[in-house]
Amino acid sequence: MRSGYLFRGLNDRQLEGLTAGTKNIEVDSGEVIYREREEAEAIYMLSSGAVELVTSVNNHIELPVSIIRNPGEMFGSSALIEPHLHTLTARCQSAGNILVIERRALQEYMSEHDEVGLIIMTNLATYLLSRLKESRQELKIHFKTLLRSFRA
Amino acid sequence: MVDQNQISIENRGELSILDITGDITSASEPFFAQAYKHPDVDGVGKILLKFDEGAYINSGGIAVLIQLLAETKRKAQKVGITGLSDHFKKIFHMVGITRFADIYASMDEALKAMG
Repeated sequence: MRSGYLFRGLNDRQLEGLTAGTKNIEVDSGEVIYREREEAEAIYMLSSGAVELVTSVNNHIELPVSIIRNPGEMFGSSALIEPHLHTLTARCQSAGNILVIERRALQEYMSEHDEVGLIIMTNLATYLLSRLKESRQELKIHFKTLLRSFRA
Repeated sequence: MVDQNQISIENRGELSILDITGDITSASEPFFAQAYKHPDVDGVGKILLKFDEGAYINSGGIAVLIQLLAETKRKAQKVGITGLSDHFKKIFHMVGITRFADIYASMDEALKAMG
């Protein structure tokens, strides 16, 4: 669990305390782990295989957002943020194993151990800021394309 | 700048081949901009984009490609794409990139059509 971005900075005792609400699941290629707008009841850590995160533009267009393919990579962080709804769909791209960390167990542990909660939420904020930067960069690229097309 | 992509350029007369390694995201923009400014690419009539089959192209990468295709359309350059996995062939078709670039199953097929 140490390699997950949310858990960076936690010591062995703190990490051990987090394992109470976890379970391993096997996933097959093509299997949907969760869908956009569904309630986020857990966060996930890849053990093996690959998972793609996508977002729906409309009923016909689905955009690729990222690929989770390195063991220890995490996804489903919406579980830690109200309103606890997934903002993306996670679909298994190649069969593997995933560690499921139940939201309620994690939140309970974090509320009982303030220092753990602080570290996890700080890591989450850092991660979300990097995602925000990526989204802004993407928006700038579209904006530049649009401006050039107006000027042409 | 993170060394996210390497783009090597091979010129074959009217055709320039851009051999692209690495995942394509919004961070790829400067690499594509630099390659497109290259004298072997800028004024050429046809451009072939060759991707790694294992490369992942996210929505930011698609934005970079749309940006490039807008420029090639403006300059009336013909664009071909090869090396895509079936997954991305489907996505490129879905988002409309195939209206501005032809997708080829292999390098041989691309060269036959564009060379």
